[in-house]
Amino acid sequence: MLRRSRGHLAALLLATSLLVTACGSDKQGATSTPGQPDKVTVGVIPILDVAPIYLGLERNFFKDHNIDLTLKQAEGGAAIVPAVVSGEYQFGFSNSVSLLLAQSQTLPIKAVANGVNSTGEDGKDFAGLFVRPDSPIKTPKDLEGRKVAANTLQNIVDTSVRASVREDGGDPAKVEFTALPFPDQLPALQNGQVDAIFVVEPFQQAATAAGMRKIASSYVDVAPDLCVALYFTSEELLGQNPDLVKRFTDAMKESLKYANDNPGEAREIIGTYTKIAPEVIAKVTLPKWPPDINRDSIEKLADLAKDDKLLTNPVDVSKLLP
Amino acid sequence: MKVLYGLAGLLGFGVLLELAPRLGLVSRDYAPPTSDILTTLAEQFGRGDFWVAVLDTLRTWLLGLVIAIALGVAIGVIIGSVPLLRAATASTIEFLRPIPSVALIPLVVVLQGPTVEATLILVVYAAFWQVLIQVLAGVADIDPVAADTARSFHLGRWDRIRFLVWPTALPYAVTGVRLAATVALILTITGELVMGSPGLGEEIANARSSGAVPEMYALIVVTGLFGVGANVLTRAAERRVLAWHPSVRLEVRVPA
Amino acid sequence: MIVLRKIGLALGLPVVLVAIWWFASAGSTDFYFPSLEKIVKAFPDTWFGPRMVNDVLPSLLRLAIGYVAALVLGVGLGMLIGANPRLRAVVEPLLEFLRAIPPPVLVPILILIAGIGSTMKILVIISGCLWPILLNTVEGVRAVDEVLTDTCRSYRIRGGLRVWHLMVRSASPQIVAGARQALSIGIILMVISEMFAASSGLGYTVIQFKDGFRIPQMYTGVILLGLLGVLLALLFRLAERRVLGWYHGIRAVQKER
Repeated sequence: MLRRSRGHLAALLLATSLLVTACGSDKQGATSTPGQPDKVTVGVIPILDVAPIYLGLERNFFKDHNIDLTLKQAEGGAAIVPAVVSGEYQFGFSNSVSLLLAQSQTLPIKAVANGVNSTGEDGKDFAGLFVRPDSPIKTPKDLEGRKVAANTLQNIVDTSVRASVREDGGDPAKVEFTALPFPDQLPALQNGQVDAIFVVEPFQQAATAAGMRKIASSYVDVAPDLCVALYFTSEELLGQNPDLVKRFTDAMKESLKYANDNPGEAREIIGTYTKIAPEVIAKVTLPKWPPDINRDSIEKLADLAKDDKLLTNPVDVSKLLP
Repeated sequence: MKVLYGLAGLLGFGVLLELAPRLGLVSRDYAPPTSDILTTLAEQFGRGDFWVAVLDTLRTWLLGLVIAIALGVAIGVIIGSVPLLRAATASTIEFLRPIPSVALIPLVVVLQGPTVEATLILVVYAAFWQVLIQVLAGVADIDPVAADTARSFHLGRWDRIRFLVWPTALPYAVTGVRLAATVALILTITGELVMGSPGLGEEIANARSSGAVPEMYALIVVTGLFGVGANVLTRAAERRVLAWHPSVRLEVRVPA
Repeated sequence: MIVLRKIGLALGLPVVLVAIWWFASAGSTDFYFPSLEKIVKAFPDTWFGPRMVNDVLPSLLRLAIGYVAALVLGVGLGMLIGANPRLRAVVEPLLEFLRAIPPPVLVPILILIAGIGSTMKILVIISGCLWPILLNTVEGVRAVDEVLTDTCRSYRIRGGLRVWHLMVRSASPQIVAGARQALSIGIILMVISEMFAASSGLGYTVIQFKDGFRIPQMYTGVILLGLLGVLLALLFRLAERRVLGWYHGIRAVQKER
């Protein structure tokens, strides 16, 4: 009994010492030592859209602008935005509506560079609205009274689908949305649990291969060449180190242009940071990566979000954009 | 002998999952048969990323568990032994306990980013309550006759804890550790899945968002195996630590 | 006097902690740590309205159904497994394997089986609440006093009577402990079940606030979940007092000097 108690005491001491060492770990941050490139961490989501920044990293565009870049993967804007605000990341990638929402809630963030755009070609976009092949739904207007799956609610997907319904002369308020992660949407459609799904690549490829019928390219219906996502930073970093932000923006513009001009290399690099199978990558429709932000499309998006009652506080788009 | 029984159970389940997609009971695209999953799993073993993720998860899990146990036992014994403290903290414990750890995720991400440390905070928070509640129940369950005996022998506070509180609370604490181990594992994977901090959970999320279904299931199998492993280890530890307790002695006596 | 003392003890520490929170966060400009004042102000508008009926009540109903189902299933299976060492040996690794699969990962599988409606959400709640109840029931049955078992055998008490009077009654303190834990887990799972394939519900609403950067509202949701836990724990204790009256009675008598 005595021996056992000593053993327990030892375990307790060990635990406490571990606790102390665990707390002593330091955080990644932007450090500026003169003569050394700036250490920068960017939060990204492991999806097709961020191929340019991975390409830019590989081709040393960031190194050329004196930036030592580290890319950290997160599972969504919900994790990236707070990390950028707190300074854990210097920059982040997030979709335009999330950023508009953040702006309307007075979060201190600022977009710095374009992220990804729709191809602007109806029927040939990197995302699509699908129904079952035998479905009575022929056009978006028929979605009134039906259930549509969106990966996140009150965000860019449902706003875009509503735009499609509006364009087709339907009443967007009559469409019911349900939140379902992308991987679960195709089976739900096939099982009849939802009537329509809006998916991005590589799930669009899977839906097409499974014989689903595309009825709209909702990103195209929102605005021509819709800016779907942006890279952003905190207002704090912008104020403290505007030069770093400028260099990052320049490097990002180079990377976007390069990815846009070299789709083959973009496809290659996607295989390195996602688990998408190579034969699928070869077939997906790539988005567009123009170096400049399409401001009109974001204004249009903000208007739609306001009409859909997503944005309850006023939002100043020019404050968000550089 | 026991091990064989256990394996039989697992095998039976594996066979069930092999047949279901093949017989068309579930779609093969979304529920691949066991053989596909196992081949993908074998492929995973060859990838460096996989082992890095495994180590990240193991580290977060075990470290979080140890911290939660240490805190839970220490605080539980102290609070449990002093009736006034127990009464004073009861309402606070009841309030904090059910707050879902998932609700802490945004706070934790702000403080630490999607990192190992962030997942650790979630894990410790969730596992701590498991241990604490069990230890409190254990301390409260002291046999009154034994307590009286201790009093008549004029045992001091430290001796009371060693000879009276500890043996009574130990079976409860052990159950607490076993529960905490599973909760800690679940929270580790969930935290990594939802936040994207490094580890198996993040790999699973990545596989899901890439549409790589067999790989996702292969990683889930690994998670399940961790759970089985944890159970085996805690049962073995329980055997040694609680060798004197009736429930264990009974089982040992009856030949398997 | 005793009532006053009881209330004092129950409220003392919480009041102190809330006061600390209030003053420490007053005038805070940090976006993710709004002042407690702001949070409290947002509370009535957020919850006392259509949300109560459309989101909170359906969620609570699903929680109740899932919890009761887990109770019945857990106690039933636990009795079976706990009484039979061979069955335990076969089933235990499999149970531990399934138990370790985190709920967010289980949800897609459940969606395949049960669709995207309330049934799936209830299954998610059951899938998590089951384990503490099952585990504790098994432990409780294992630890039945040998003297009692032998006495039953000498009196040739078998079958249903034996199960009820020997096993269930002996194991009930342990079962109740497990049921208590399952309650907290149930609330967490209620939130998780509404993270996917949901368009309404208490958990869904809190997560929507989080994703929409409406942080003070999110905090009110978290506080509401905490209050819910307190309320359910109180109800549980009332029920426990009735069910385990005999146990508390024996202990109380033994504790009296």
